[in-house]
Amino acid sequence: MEKSGHGGLSRRTLIWRAGAIAGAGLLRPRPALADDGEHEQTARALTNPIPGGVTPFKPFGVVVHHNPLSPANRLAVANISDPSQITDFDGFVGLTHIRGGGTGTNTVSGASTILAFQADMGFSQGKFVGADGRQHEGTFAFV
Amino acid sequence: MYTGPVGSANLPQQIHDYNVHIDSNDVFWMIPVEHDAVKVDFDQARARLRVNNLRVFDDHDVGNSLTLGLGLPGGLGFPYPAIAPAAPVRATVSFDVEWNGFVDKAQINNSAQSFKGSFFSTNTTIKWSAEQTGFRFESETPDPGRNLISVLGREQNGVFFSE
Repeated sequence: MEKSGHGGLSRRTLIWRAGAIAGAGLLRPRPALADDGEHEQTARALTNPIPGGVTPFKPFGVVVHHNPLSPANRLAVANISDPSQITDFDGFVGLTHIRGGGTGTNTVSGASTILAFQADMGFSQGKFVGADGRQHEGTFAFV
Repeated sequence: MYTGPVGSANLPQQIHDYNVHIDSNDVFWMIPVEHDAVKVDFDQARARLRVNNLRVFDDHDVGNSLTLGLGLPGGLGFPYPAIAPAAPVRATVSFDVEWNGFVDKAQINNSAQSFKGSFFSTNTTIKWSAEQTGFRFESETPDPGRNLISVLGREQNGVFFSE
């Protein structure tokens, strides 16, 4: 394959990747909005991400504003980094790092197989200052 | 989700990665849910998160999730394998996560990261399922032994850190 002078990527690859980025953008969900139902009539505010985080596939991929839990801290929780994904936040936060198993089923053929999973999940529930500069309350799942 | 043995999580063996994508404000994998989806009894180090039929994306693997479907190149001296590009597809997930009882406890005041609060390391279980075109998954009976580390906290960060 013909190589360009940009990190070994061919022109075709670059064009394809540009298309993939555009497609990924179209598939992005709406921003995380606070549910104002029982707290504020008008509060549907953007949350803000924590400032730090990780880039697992550096130099590729995005910066992840999240601090993964390390099993080494299970008995030393004082050593954790901020487990929240939302900044300017005051409330409860939960985070997990679980590995387990289950059954996957091909719903066309009916064939089943045992599969492994890793669940890094959690929640935030409390008040936060949104991108609009106002204080809101909300409940969020980390999925 | 991985084709390797239970307990493993090797990227080349990943075949499903369910998440809600990073939002337009760069908040990582957070989605608003009903207030009563979360119940917390913090003094007992207990909490529960229950959500049914949440619409998510299946990015196939975390490599594609964090490169917006571009995959990862092989070689080049990077410490991760080549991952072929994959486009996300729609799926739904349901989950019931229980933080149940403390393993360790700490007060943290971290000025470098501007967060503080009370934190528990807890026992935790999960029961979850996923469904999408041509595939469904049902996790095993909840097993506390599967928990590697889980945390429950009552915290303040950002502008609330200095209050």
